[in-house]
Amino acid sequence: MSIINQRKAHRRISMMAFLFMLWLIFLIIRLLQLQVIEHPSLKTKVTQHNQNKKDIIPKRGTIYDRTGIILARSLPFRSVFYTPNEDESLESQLEKIQTVKSILNLSEREFQRIKKRVEKNVSFIWIRRKIPPEKEEMIKKLSLDGIYFLEENKRYYPHGKRAAHLLGRVDIDEVGASGIEYSCNSVLAGIKGEHLIMKDAKKREYEFETLKEPKDGKDLVLTIDETIQFYAEKELEKAVRESGAKWGTVIITHPSSGEILAMANFPNYDLNNLPRSPTVVDRNNAIHHNFEPGSTFKVVTASVALETNKVTLADSFDCSQGYISVAGKLIRDHQRYGILSFPEIIIHSSNVGTVQLSHNLDRDSFYKTIKKFGFGKKTGINLPAEEKGIFRQVEDWSRISPASLSIGYEISVTALQMLQAVNIIANDGVLVPPRIVRRVLNASSKSIRNPLPSLRIISRETASILTSILREVVQGGTGSPAQIPGYRIAGKTGTAQIFDSSIGSYSSEAHIASFVGFVPADNPAFSMIVVIDEPVGSYYGGEVAGPVFREISKQVLQYLKIPGQKIPRKNTIVENRWRLSD
Amino acid sequence: MMMVITCTVFIIAILTFYIWHQVEAVRIGYEINRLEEKVQKLKIEVEELETTKASLLSLEKVERIAKEKLKMVKTEDNQKVYEDFKQK
Repeated sequence: MSIINQRKAHRRISMMAFLFMLWLIFLIIRLLQLQVIEHPSLKTKVTQHNQNKKDIIPKRGTIYDRTGIILARSLPFRSVFYTPNEDESLESQLEKIQTVKSILNLSEREFQRIKKRVEKNVSFIWIRRKIPPEKEEMIKKLSLDGIYFLEENKRYYPHGKRAAHLLGRVDIDEVGASGIEYSCNSVLAGIKGEHLIMKDAKKREYEFETLKEPKDGKDLVLTIDETIQFYAEKELEKAVRESGAKWGTVIITHPSSGEILAMANFPNYDLNNLPRSPTVVDRNNAIHHNFEPGSTFKVVTASVALETNKVTLADSFDCSQGYISVAGKLIRDHQRYGILSFPEIIIHSSNVGTVQLSHNLDRDSFYKTIKKFGFGKKTGINLPAEEKGIFRQVEDWSRISPASLSIGYEISVTALQMLQAVNIIANDGVLVPPRIVRRVLNASSKSIRNPLPSLRIISRETASILTSILREVVQGGTGSPAQIPGYRIAGKTGTAQIFDSSIGSYSSEAHIASFVGFVPADNPAFSMIVVIDEPVGSYYGGEVAGPVFREISKQVLQYLKIPGQKIPRKNTIVENRWRLSD
Repeated sequence: MMMVITCTVFIIAILTFYIWHQVEAVRIGYEINRLEEKVQKLKIEVEELETTKASLLSLEKVERIAKEKLKMVKTEDNQKVYEDFKQK
């Protein structure tokens, strides 16, 4: 090889070596750029591509009745959302939303809300939450870029309207908004978890790592019996419709345990298809409506009189005038009764006789006993916003107050308070606070507020005498429409005028009719209060609420398999001593 | 020479087994994942069916079918007889 050729070859090799070195340097720089300078941002991109964090939605607890029937359950539903693409034109994006709009029947207002958010380039926009599966399929088939689905849960109430006010409702995020759903939300809701999802190059999910375990909500068993609730709602609806009343409420309890077997309200609403203003469901008149009870309160007056030995069964009262004047105000009976014995003033619900009885009562004892019966304070039931009623301090009483209170005025109570008071008599003088939650499944008993302890309020003897009197109320007094052949029923009627604030006095046209009692009288299987607000036409408690009590009781007695009793009429003390004025 | 060939075959066999093991582990991972999803779906389906059952057995519906379809009527008070089987 000549020297010239050698030089040429040497030059070429040097050039090649130089280019190779240059390429190597370029590679090293590029490597530094990727591995050192841009490493954090590139790692984030890779993570975004291959990994995904996802919330694990806990399942909200199921609500059962006492027999295991499902009252409320959360089921999975898909929600559809949109993620805008910065590179795509606004028109093209809105076109996609328009397509979805027609499938989901979105209103123009909803569309405008989404449009505004797309214009602002918000990264996550809800289109419609909890859509039906068939709509989901229709949207999926379109394969629209940016339209995604997220799994959520939706509360479903298999019985629709049943116990609507009691169960309450949840909001769109499954947070309890009223009723049991609200008061037991912390137990039912559970705690969200988090998944880390690893994806392969084809974006297939191949590995799940749970970063935070979700905690499902706990299941609740209520004291409600779905069948008894059904009877109560059916008869209440019938009564409210037939009487043209504004509303009605029925509560049924098991007196010795305080367990609520039914709490019905009418009008009621389908929890799966709430009205435009869902807050109407939030008002449960059984615990939220204060009303003056009228004659049902005479049971408390009689208790005080018996407990303080201010009356005996043999005492009689002159009710022949049909009215009585107290501090310049006239209190009337709806008819003239003549001379009535103590039991008879309760049996015939004489206002005049009861007012005379109240004259014998000591104010402080009267006040304290009313308080002991639980009036003027919440019963402590596990339901939200319970009213405590209105009961003034004894210092604020006027001269007419004892007389008014004795016949159930100047005091406002809830239906539940009134039933609790009558349950004291059914329980031989012991107050057992009402309860609605029977147990929480798979949880310590501490997770739900325990009911207050039982307390003796009146003596066994007083309770026994009152039971006998209340039995006669149904047997031959104002409560006779509640009679069921073969069964001993103890009960009391109530008819109260409603105070009209616009005229500053009691209305002569608007009344609250009620009936409260327990069956069978000597060993109560259940107690019940029926309250009907502003019935049109007949408005007496016995005539309006009594038949509702009877019809529900008949069905519940049959359901509970309680046979009728043989009633030894001649052995009742009323037969021998009380039927003086018949 | 035989030694070299034996070693090469042995190494290839180990490598083949290792690759097969890795592929199989991934495949089983997918399978477990798929079955877990299936179990979850079935659990949800059971819950949905239980809820549907509760809805279908709603007493209004039962009463309506009994009255309208089966023409059943309510018993009157005088038609009921209670027997005390304990005493018998």
